[in-house]
Amino acid sequence: MSEKERLVELRNIVKIYGEHMVLKSVDFDLHAGEIHCLVGENGAGKSTLIKILSGAVSPESGEIVILGKKMKTLNPRLAIEMGITTVYQDAEIVDSLTVAENIFLGNELNSKMPFKIDKQRQADETQKILENLGIDLDANELAGNLSTAEKQMVQIAKALHRKARVIIMDEPTSSLGLEETRALLTLLKNLKSQGLGIIYISHYLNEVFEIADRITILKDGEKMGTYPLQEVDLNTVVKKMVGRDTALFFQRKKVPIGDVRFYVRNLTKKGIVEDVSFDVRAGEIFGIGGLVGSGRTELVSLIYGALRPDSGEIVMDGKTVVLKSPIDAMKKGICFVSEDRKKYGMFLGRNVVENLVAVKNKLSRRFLLNLSEELRLSTQTVNKLSIAVSDRDQLIEELSGGNQQKVIIGRWLLNTDAALYIFDEPTKGVDIGAREQIYQIMLELVENKKSIIMVSSDMPELLSMSDRIGVMRNGRMTHILQNDGLKEEDLMRLFIGV
Amino acid sequence: MPERKNSNQVLQKGKKPLYKNQWFFLLLAEVVLAVITGSINPRFFALSNITNILEQIAVLGILASGMTMLIISGEIDISVGANIGLVSCVIAMMIKNDVSYFWVVLVALILAAFNSLLVGSSSLVFKAPSFITSLGFLSVFRGTAYAITKGVFQTIYGKFEALGLTRLWGILPLGFLIGILIYFLAHFILKYSKLGRHFYAVGSNPAAAYLSGISIFRTKLLAFLINGLMIGMASMILLSRVGAAQPTTGSGLELRAIGAVVIGGTPLSGGKGNILGTFFGVLLMGIISNTLNMLRVNPYFQEVVFGIFIVASLAVSAFSAYAGKGVFKKAIRQSKEG
Ligand SMILES: Nc1ncnc2c1ncn2[C@@H]1O[C@H](COP(=O)(O)OP(=O)(O)OP(=O)(O)O)[C@@H](O)[C@H]1O
Ligand SMILES: [Mg+2]
Repeated sequence: MSEKERLVELRNIVKIYGEHMVLKSVDFDLHAGEIHCLVGENGAGKSTLIKILSGAVSPESGEIVILGKKMKTLNPRLAIEMGITTVYQDAEIVDSLTVAENIFLGNELNSKMPFKIDKQRQADETQKILENLGIDLDANELAGNLSTAEKQMVQIAKALHRKARVIIMDEPTSSLGLEETRALLTLLKNLKSQGLGIIYISHYLNEVFEIADRITILKDGEKMGTYPLQEVDLNTVVKKMVGRDTALFFQRKKVPIGDVRFYVRNLTKKGIVEDVSFDVRAGEIFGIGGLVGSGRTELVSLIYGALRPDSGEIVMDGKTVVLKSPIDAMKKGICFVSEDRKKYGMFLGRNVVENLVAVKNKLSRRFLLNLSEELRLSTQTVNKLSIAVSDRDQLIEELSGGNQQKVIIGRWLLNTDAALYIFDEPTKGVDIGAREQIYQIMLELVENKKSIIMVSSDMPELLSMSDRIGVMRNGRMTHILQNDGLKEEDLMRLFIGV
Repeated sequence: MPERKNSNQVLQKGKKPLYKNQWFFLLLAEVVLAVITGSINPRFFALSNITNILEQIAVLGILASGMTMLIISGEIDISVGANIGLVSCVIAMMIKNDVSYFWVVLVALILAAFNSLLVGSSSLVFKAPSFITSLGFLSVFRGTAYAITKGVFQTIYGKFEALGLTRLWGILPLGFLIGILIYFLAHFILKYSKLGRHFYAVGSNPAAAYLSGISIFRTKLLAFLINGLMIGMASMILLSRVGAAQPTTGSGLELRAIGAVVIGGTPLSGGKGNILGTFFGVLLMGIISNTLNMLRVNPYFQEVVFGIFIVASLAVSAFSAYAGKGVFKKAIRQSKEG
């Protein structure tokens, strides 16, 4: 394998949606044995570019060359046959099949008996692939029992089994914890050394700088350049992405903290959340950290009434509240931004305005909608969060991932009367610049004496934003720490419990 | 990336070319069909025939309006025809016994709404698809109609005619006018009321709607209630026009209504669609039916044509969910997260 074998080359790619040119003659290439990272703001065109390479979207013009062959047309199937595999977050893994069956799905191994699949041989070969990749999984495990991270790994294993040469990952770590991220990055380095080419998109620049061989920066659909890792530093990349200087680490302002407005005592949901007690004060950001699966999301779902607790007490402004459903919570002034915008946030097929005002409307007592007010509020939110949207009839699924996230956050921020805001992974998929805007808005909230509970897997976020941090482990809140002088390593140790 | 807006500038309206609207295609198809039929049989364009078409589509239009809202909320009701059968039989018997029209109207609306709520609440309480529960209630309604009529034809000739046979200025059928009114009402609800927004929300993503504080149970039940009231209305107009009822009255209308809704651009998956499309979908059904009559197609064969038409409209709906701008949408949806 020569050092410079070109697996993929994209030339002068142009993509137009409606009247907007979202890719303006972009070049891109990928060598064997390299990790090529793609970075840029929300809506810069990163996902669109890789969708073109994976055949899901066809460009208006431009050339696609795969393994030296110029492709006239491309579709997802063909792309896979040519050795290009895109690892999506949830798709493609069938929960009711085992790991081995998933990997061999579509080209099962036949045994001597006709129509009978040789399960044993499939399992053995799968185990070999997994071991080779250093993935600690049982080939006979049901895929439904796997975590998001493990499913991703199975997809990678599947790709390798199908002799993929190129693996594309679009924000794979946005729903992974720190440990899982580490494991994935190690795996990717391993794949690279085996001669595969990897295209990696992420808003976490520290990851990018850890694994990249080359970095390509996109801005507003234009390529700002491709750089070998040695030739750039973090600041340069950020500056080229955002077009201005941005602080890499958010330095938050301290706000005077008031009295306890909200507390829970001995909150329990059997097998999920055990005996959790904590309080949150006016003007405070209470961070909740822990490994993925430690019960953080379940805990806040209990507080929001989306889950019913078996026992325990939730007290707001001195009064015990019983929350039968989210409606009750909303009436009591509790907001909840869910971590999974696709499942629990977006109204697909509806436009940006309708998605933004859903909660605001729900809270109004009128039967009729106030369309001009809706427009005013949406415009205001779009500006405040700089959501990249072409017009008010644009459907939410036509926004880039990060901009979708901003819409969902914006929906809840329009409810200005709430007392307690719960954010579950608020900046998932959001670019550096916009992350800062969201933090700024959170600070405005606490300045106005609101309380915030923030669940986050992003350590820098947790450490820079929280006044106190509750550590969740196996459904219990094991520690509540004052956030001064806390270090990532200390926290991590508490998360794992060593 | 789209231009960022200045803070004093409001979000502009999207520019959607005319040809991207489903109703535009339907209108085109209707004009073509009318011209062809008219050139074969010029009587197609006679005023009396046009009045005839309007009269025929009045009932379907009312049913399709209710069905549009129901489908947008992510539900469906295939017991509509049987519901009409039961309601028409009950009110026909009342009319035969000279019960005052006030009670007739009241019973028609309440009974139809009650039936529809049965379908809806059983689906919501037992968490079974409304397709299944309405399939069950279809037999219940029809069976009940047979039981109370003992299978006997209920004729009411000469009574209760105003609703179905009145023609304003000798041309405009009253039923059609009521239909138009209901289109407007449905459009108003979907476009300008919170309830309409909630219909779209629960149809598009029930989990997100729930977390936004919208009661899924209440919203969907209201969709069933409105659909029921439409069924009651349609039953009265139908009975008034035909002058007789039997348990099978109205059977098959649910499929035509669903077909009209779907071909009008409201997908069965819910969360999308509008009334304008339904209006043109209903009109297309009416014109096709009239054309088949004009061209003297055998009535049994007409059934076949309608069956094929409905399957075709469902296929179109399924296709348009996948194909768009020459792109395989499903693949995009999978990767949309990114
Ligand atoms: N189906 C579509 N219809 C219209 N516009 C679209 C569609 N898909 C994407 N766009 C637009 O293309 C632009 C680029 O989107 P893309 O998803 O490639 O951004 P991205 O760089 O991946 O951003 P993010 O970091 O937020 O994921 C966005 O402005 C988006 O609104
Ligand atoms: Mg993206």
